[in-house]
Formats: sequence, C-alpha cells, structure tokens
Amino acid sequence: MGYPYSHDLEVGTLLSRHFGNEKARTLEGWKELGGYATLPRALEMDPDAITEVVKNSGLRGRGGAGFPTGVKWSFMPKEPSGAHYLCCNADESEPGAFKDREILRWVPHLLIEGCLIAARAIRAEHVYIYVRGEFFPFSAILRDAVVEAYEDGYVGENILGSGWNCDVTVHLGAGAYIAGEETGLMSSLMGGRAEPWIKPPFPAQSGAFGRPTTVNNVETLAAVPMILAEGADWYRQWGTEKSPGTKLWCCSGHLERPGTYELPLGVNLRDVIYEVCGGAPDGKKIKAVVPGGSSTAMLTAEELDCSGCYEGMAEAGSALGTASPIVMNEDTNIVQAMRRIAQFYAHESCGQCVQCREGTSWTAKILHRIEEGDGTVEDIDTLYHLCEQMTGRTICPLADSVVFPLLSSLDKFRDEYDALIKR
Amino acid sequence: MSDAANHITLTIDGVEVSVEAGTTLLQAAEHAGVVVPHYCYHPGIPSRPAQCRMCLVEIEGQPKLQPSCVFPAGDGMVVHTTSETAETARKSVIEFLLLNHPLDCPICDAAGQCMLQDYAFETGQLRSRYAEAKLVLGRDRVADDILYFGDRCIVCTRCVRFMEDLAGDNALVVAQRGHKAYIDTFPGKDLDHAFRGNIVDVCPVGALVHEDFVFKARAWDMDSSPGICPGCATGCNVEINVKENQVVRTKPRLNPDVNSYWMCDHGRRILVMANRGVRAEAPMIRQGGELEPASWNEALSWVAEKLSDSSGVAVVSAGASNEALFYTRALLDRLGIQGGTFQVERGEEATLTGFPKLKLRADRAPNVRGAELHDFRLSEELPEVADGATLVVLGDALSGAAADYGANAGFFLYIGSHLVPAARNATAILPAATVPETEGTFVNYEGRVQRFHRALRSPGVARPSWMFLSRLLEHLGGPSGVREIGDAFAVMATDTAGMHGLTWSGLGLRGELLSEAGQPAVAAE
Amino acid sequence: MNDTGDQVKKPLHPAAASSQPFQVADIRPTERLFDDPEGRDRLEKVLSRYPEKRAALLPMLGYAQERNGWVSDESMAEIAGALDLTPAYVRSVTTFYTMYNRHPVGRHLIQVCTCISCHLDEADEVFERFLSETGTRAGEISENGRYTVIEAECLGACGFATAVQVNDRYFENVTPDKVPAILDELD
Repeated sequence: MGYPYSHDLEVGTLLSRHFGNEKARTLEGWKELGGYATLPRALEMDPDAITEVVKNSGLRGRGGAGFPTGVKWSFMPKEPSGAHYLCCNADESEPGAFKDREILRWVPHLLIEGCLIAARAIRAEHVYIYVRGEFFPFSAILRDAVVEAYEDGYVGENILGSGWNCDVTVHLGAGAYIAGEETGLMSSLMGGRAEPWIKPPFPAQSGAFGRPTTVNNVETLAAVPMILAEGADWYRQWGTEKSPGTKLWCCSGHLERPGTYELPLGVNLRDVIYEVCGGAPDGKKIKAVVPGGSSTAMLTAEELDCSGCYEGMAEAGSALGTASPIVMNEDTNIVQAMRRIAQFYAHESCGQCVQCREGTSWTAKILHRIEEGDGTVEDIDTLYHLCEQMTGRTICPLADSVVFPLLSSLDKFRDEYDALIKR
Repeated sequence: MSDAANHITLTIDGVEVSVEAGTTLLQAAEHAGVVVPHYCYHPGIPSRPAQCRMCLVEIEGQPKLQPSCVFPAGDGMVVHTTSETAETARKSVIEFLLLNHPLDCPICDAAGQCMLQDYAFETGQLRSRYAEAKLVLGRDRVADDILYFGDRCIVCTRCVRFMEDLAGDNALVVAQRGHKAYIDTFPGKDLDHAFRGNIVDVCPVGALVHEDFVFKARAWDMDSSPGICPGCATGCNVEINVKENQVVRTKPRLNPDVNSYWMCDHGRRILVMANRGVRAEAPMIRQGGELEPASWNEALSWVAEKLSDSSGVAVVSAGASNEALFYTRALLDRLGIQGGTFQVERGEEATLTGFPKLKLRADRAPNVRGAELHDFRLSEELPEVADGATLVVLGDALSGAAADYGANAGFFLYIGSHLVPAARNATAILPAATVPETEGTFVNYEGRVQRFHRALRSPGVARPSWMFLSRLLEHLGGPSGVREIGDAFAVMATDTAGMHGLTWSGLGLRGELLSEAGQPAVAAE
Repeated sequence: MNDTGDQVKKPLHPAAASSQPFQVADIRPTERLFDDPEGRDRLEKVLSRYPEKRAALLPMLGYAQERNGWVSDESMAEIAGALDLTPAYVRSVTTFYTMYNRHPVGRHLIQVCTCISCHLDEADEVFERFLSETGTRAGEISENGRYTVIEAECLGACGFATAVQVNDRYFENVTPDKVPAILDELD
C-alpha cells in the first residue's frame, strides 16, 4: 500500500496496512483492528527469547545503518545493575526520508506496542520517543496515543496486570539533524547539545544518563509486534536472505507519484521509480537518483537496475540508507543540486570535528562559486581532496555523508562541472 | 607478549614499549619518545572529547585512523604516528584550521609559542587553498582581564573544559554550532573565577589572551626561569617570563604534587609587580648621623664592629627564603637575640575544585613554614622596640609600619629590598635582592621544600641576603661566607630539623618533603 | 463537562509534558516562567520523567517559547536556576538548536523548506512568493506583526514538496500560486 496513492505492485502490507485510516490512531480503533494482541504474549516471554525471535527474523535497523536489530538488543546486559533505557529515534531529518512520520500519525499504537516489546526484551522500564521538534502535528497524535495507552493500562505501572512497569515519554527535539545520530540523540535527550560522542563507551554499556541504552528507529520498532506475533520465518518470506522483510520507501523529487510505499526489500530500484512512482512527470527522462536519502551516492539513470536491499545497493556502488530515492530529471542542474545538498550538511554540522565543521561549509562555498560560473579547475581538485579528507576521520559520519553524493556527482557528472568552469 | 598481569607491550614508530593496561596510545607514545600532535587533549584536563582529530594515528590491522588520546593501547599493537596516512590526515586538520584563521601572527601574542604555528611548520602544511571570504568574529571580553579573539579560535574546547572540570564553573561555553561555533559567556556574566587565567595557558593558539600581557612581549624576546609563586603558602611552581629585566608574565609550571598544571590569578599578578618601587640599591650606614652609601666591605666591617651582644628584637618576613632566614637566625644567635616574629597577610581562600590540593591559601606568603622552621613565630603585630635596643629586620616586613618604627632603636639593622618609610630610621641598610632576583628555597604549607631561581638582575649592588649575611657572620668570627646557593643550602640543611639529607641538587625542580622532624604537630591542609 | 456545562480541560499527563508544541500563534507572555502555576506544574511534570534535572532543559526552553514566542536571556537565566545549571550552559544549548527563536518573531513563523527534494520542486519560488506576499525580507517581522518568513532545512515531507511549516502546522504540496490562499487562512 502506498500512501497517499495505491498501486498495483503486489506486496504484503505490514506497516502501512492502515495508513490513511484515521480510526487506527485511536486506542479503541486500533484494538478493533487487532492491535495490542502481541503485547500480552511478550509480557509472558523471557526477554532473551524475544530477542532471539527478532534476531532470527533478520530485521535490520531502518534508520539508515542497517545494523541487525536482534544483535543490537543482545549487547544489553542480561543482569541489570540499574536502569536500562530504550530510545525510539523519531528524529527523521534525512533529506528524502518521510516514513517515520507516517507511522507516527497513522499507527502510533503500533509503534507504542513495538516499543514496549523491545523494552521488555532489553530489560528497560522507560522508553523515550525522541521526535524531531518540527513534527508538531505528528508528535501530537503520538502523544495523545501515549496518554490513551496510559489511561487504559497499556503503559505505566503493572501493564495489563502483568506486574511489569514501563513508562513512555514523548520528548521533542528542537531542530538538529545530528540529533538523529544515536549518541547525538542521547546527548540531546540528557539536556545538552546534540553532539555525538566517541565510542567506546557504546550505548549498551553507557548511554542515556550513563546507563545501558538501545536506540532504535521508528520503522524498526514498528515491525517488532508482527514479527513476534507471526514468527521469524514468516517475516523472511519477504525480502532477501540478508535483508528480510518489507521497507517503507520514500520517493520524492521529479516523480509522477511521489509518496511512501511499503515494498519488500530486494525490489528492483527501477521498478520502484518507474512502475510504482510513474517515472518523471511531463515525459521527462531521469538523469540521476540519490537512492537512500541524501547521504548516499548518486546513481545515473542507467544504473537503476539494482536490488533495493542493503547488499544490493552496496553492490551498485551506493547504499540503501533509508530507502528514500530522490529523483532528478534531465533538466536538473547537478551542480546546483549538489550545492543544495552540501548546504544542508554545512548547516547541520555540530562543529566538534574540524573536517566536518570546516569541510562541509567549504564544500558548499566552492560548489556555490562553481554554480555561479566563478569556479576554477583547481576547485575540482580541491573537491576531490575534500572528499578524501572528510572520509573516516570524524566522530560521526556526517562528513562522510556529504562525500557520498559529492564524489559520485564528480565521477558521473563531471561534464556538468566542467561546463560551468571557464578558467 | 605481556610480562605481568596488567602490563602490555606494543610497538610505536618501531620502538617497543611496555605500559600498564588502560594507557592510551598517546600516553604510550610518550614512553617511546614520541609526542603525538594534539589540541583538545590536555594531560591536566580529565575530559577527552577526541574532537580536534589531530592525534589520529595508524594502527596496523585497523581500517580507520584512531584518536590516540583516547584509544587504549593493546597488547601486540603496531602503531604508526607518522605514516603517510597519519601525516596526510594531520596536514588536512591544519589546512582546515587555517581556512578561517586570520593571518594575525605579526600581531598575535601566541606567535612563537603557538601550537597551530608549530604543527603547521612540523607538517609542512603552511597554507590553505581556501579562496572564499574568511569568517570575521572580532574580539570579545570574557573576563575583566581576558580577551577572546574569535577568528583565531580552533574550538578545541580546552578553555570550556578547564572551567567545567577544574574550576567547577560552567561559565564558558560553545555557542552556536558548525562553522559558526565560537566560545562565549552568558551576556553580562563574564568569568569571575580565582583560577580563570589558566584558560589562557591552555589555549593552543592566540584566541585567549591576558589583557595585561597583550602586545607586551614576543615569545622569543622573553627569558624564562623556574620559580615559586610568592603569593601564598601553596608554593605553585611557576615559570617567570622576563623581558628587559622586567617580569612580563608568570605561567604555571607542572608539579603533580603541588599545583598540577595550574596557578591562581592572584599569583599571576604578584610577580609582575616585583622589583618595582623604591629600592635599596647600595649598602647605607649612618656613620656620621645620616645614612650614607658605602661599599659592601666597608658596610659589613662597620656593622660587625657596631653590633654588640645586647637585648633586641627581630622581625622577619614570611616571604624570605629559608637560606635568608637561616643566616638571620645564625646572626641573631651570635648576638644573643632570642625569638623573632613575622606577620602574614591573610586573605580569602579559593580552591580549584578539580584539583583540590591547589588552593589560593589564606596565608598570603610563601614561606610561613620556613619561618617557623627557623624558630620565628607568627605575630599579629610588630614587636615594640625598647629604647636603645637592637632591631634586626629581614625582608619586606615593614611596608605597613609607622614611619617612626625603629627610630628609637640603639642599632637598627635593615636587611631588605625596599626603602619603605620605616627603613629610613635604620642604622644600616644592607640592600637585599628580591625573590625573583635570587635563588633559594621555600617550604610550602605541606612541608615541601622547593627551589626557586633567578629571573631578574638586582638593581645597584643589591645582593642575596644569605650571601652577605654569611659574610657578616664571617666578620663576626664565624666560618667563611658562602657564595654558592648549593653551599648555603648544605650548611642550612645540616643544622635544620627535617632538612637532614636534603641537598640543593637533590631537590630538583619538584622539591622534597621535610622529614618527620620538620613536620608540625597538626597536619597541613 | 463540569457542573456548569463547560468543557473542563484535562490536566496535562506527565508523559506528554515534554512534547507540547512550542511554536504557536497564540502566545501568552509571562515575565517569570516558574512564578506561574502552569509553569511550575509543567516543570514538575517534566522533571518527573528523567533521572537528571538537566534533561528537562529542552522541554523548558520549549515552554519559554510556548509562552513568550521566543527564548530571552531572562528566560534562560530563570531556567538555569530551576535546573541547577549555569546560564552560560543554557545559552550554549539554546543556540545549538535551530527552532529556538532568539528574538521575537511574527505571529506566524513561516518556514519554507528549500532542501533538495523541495528544491527540485520550486521551493525557491515558493519562498520568494511568501516574501513578496508578506512584504518582508527573510527573518524580519512584517509591518503588521503577523508574519516572519525563513528558509528551513528538510521538514520531512519530501514526497509532498514543497513543504511549508507555519508555527505548528504543516502545509504540503505548496506551489507559488497557492501562497496567497495559505496566508489568507492564517488568522
């Protein structure tokens, strides 16, 4: 099911089944649709048994990194010496991504149930759902759902009479992409600048408030209830061996039908763009696609025949990321597009590491000058040099994130750069 | 292979070193004689953000360069700090830092003692290829006496973390983010901490400067001597910077047992005022009713002749060195004058909470323990001088005295550096060098005997008190006078409780605690 | 409903205390946040959700802006006092984030996303149209005090470009010709 459009490509709809149905966001409505049916089971299971199911399902983090979720949960101490925390990362700020907001506003109780089950698995008793500040309309819906859940005994003390307590707090950010990085998120949650920290210490050793913490993306947690309900094998009927399950694909840019579509992993990227989204409007050809949100390498129109999964996109020289293809038609000025992307990273750099703080801003300035026709051949060399110097040198990969699209645009669309350079 | 339970062996730049488990690569590299370039790391500041990215090193088998300031040394690791990859990374950090950095070297205090300059030259990255407009931030005041030049700042956050970790006052912070980040206080709340001056020391570049030092002296114009701060009983180890025989700056010197890397602002200001004021530049004797200058030989012979066994009082200063006090006591013994007192100015205490041993202590004098060790006693007031009695004064003890103090003495021997009003009543003035003009030792609050060294030339023919007092004693029938501080110390150590076994050279630059015999009944704090 | 038939406002649930909208048209200015019973209640409820006081900082900065429309030095100092933080630290956090206004803004803060997906779909033109229709320059308050227009980075509505956020509302699929109608809709 795609929101806001439907389409013909046959898929199982897991997360998005109730997108568009306003009834689904109320507790009553959600229960009528079969919601919260898995929670009682999870409350009776051994926490490690829950983790085992999720591990076997092969669910991978949907926030872009794709780390196996069950494995991440297994890093948490099995014998708590104090509080454990679950942070749900709803800071969705990656350019091109707009899937988590759909979960928040259509099926908030699905997310809540997923959070509770995950908390149980990692022996946490408090879930912080960190929602980016800008998402007021969607966090309001989530917030109301959390309050409903409290009032009906699904969250809080003695959940459903099980004797288990778990709190959920919805916590708003205030405008910082870097708060989507897991240590940046925890820094912000604790009342600080969203500045990532070096690892070790890893969150499972010392995270929020110095306690073992797991940070999971919204889409990841939303998949948990059904995985536990139906089993790991069931989930694996979709996707590939290494990338099981379905994914919410966020398609934007020059498309006939942009929007959020749930599709199995491993779907061909060409099919997503042309069949599902209808290709570029007005009969235009497609020039380039940034397939995984802006932090991934550009693909040319000829390179779209690849498998839309973690390993497939890596093989194609890019990355799945958040599965958020940004499509650019033949009229797009690649240099200008790249400048705008670089501008985003320059604006969002937290400023700790000099390569990122200075490098992203410098990149944006050079690109702007080239765009204005004021670039030199040395600038191209400098851009290549910057790509090298911003890779693998920093506390977090924000600097690397500008290199992926930049380097690919230089390699694949060099003629556009050259055309703007007069000297 | 590790040879003990918690010792590991690794190779750094081809040198094998053995360190305790938990040591970072940067610390381990020091064992190999390698200083890995760094900015945000500071050995005295506990927090390690690893954010400057300057200390990245290559570890064989690891795909990415790692920050050596936090990366733990591992058994069998092979580390390269100057491999091509590491060097390239380091050069690029310099290039990035130079992007917006103003070419202020000709007018920047840090020139010549700047870690950005140093590493730029070391790596050979002397220019950036930046062709855009540079960010301009200008100059801001962060404290009464400290200026911040935002353009020069490399946002290493050492200053922020000094205030947070050591001073316990989160009053200096990073404002904004990304390439717009800079250091600031809260509007209207400039830094007001007793130890704030240390932020200037930790700044690797010229972003933070002392207002009273700005534009005063170039690094290469200054001479440097190791000294002991005379501001209070803590005895912080300092480095005295001198230009053209004036103290232009005092900086702390590392002593892990006394002051770590730090000192307080009171101490910074004290020595700059040294050797100002009206000085006694030549011996003066009241041969014919008026004080007249005389040569040393003349003066010492005359004084030896005139001084007799008689009743008298002595006043000393707790800012005088042990050697000066020792020879004064020897003189008093020979004259049969018992006792002797000193006054001490007292002030508010201030602690550096992150290194609590370091306080600006209430006793605002460096050698209270030393004075007590030589049998002088603390007094709230100056002693009364009986008519015709002998008065012996050592050091800066009469700056607060009434102008007629000592005028009724039979013989008033003033052994001091400044011609304060009361000094003009003296029968003989023997001009002494001030503390920065000589060498000697102090005993700090804890009983630590610490050496200080000459930084300045004395005016006129002023000499160290211990030197001419030992000559005076020779005139009075004692042993030969000493001319070397080592000899003076040796004579003193033999005769002084708690100092047996100590030698001048043995004290080194870190000092030694007095032995049991020299410790007071109540433990120092 | 209470006895007189009026809708009684439900007390704020503590789980919702850290997620109240803080960019709103109807501000209710107050000089002191915590002399106000509502402010005290909010502070108490927020504090109850975290093991450390400092974690209440972003929610409290949000509350200051919810009440006053922006975060002033005075508010920062007051919040610092309430959370045992230094004012400088609070300033450091406030200036890190984009959404805290450091000066008053118009009644309607209009944020036009010009990031890549919206950029590909006329976002710059939408932005220019808002500026001309409101008669402002970027970041300024219009003469009638009703509008401030700024650019924003990705608002998370990329498939519905161009996205525009006005206070706590989202307007999606905005094209330049839709701008006058949007402005008319704002009170």
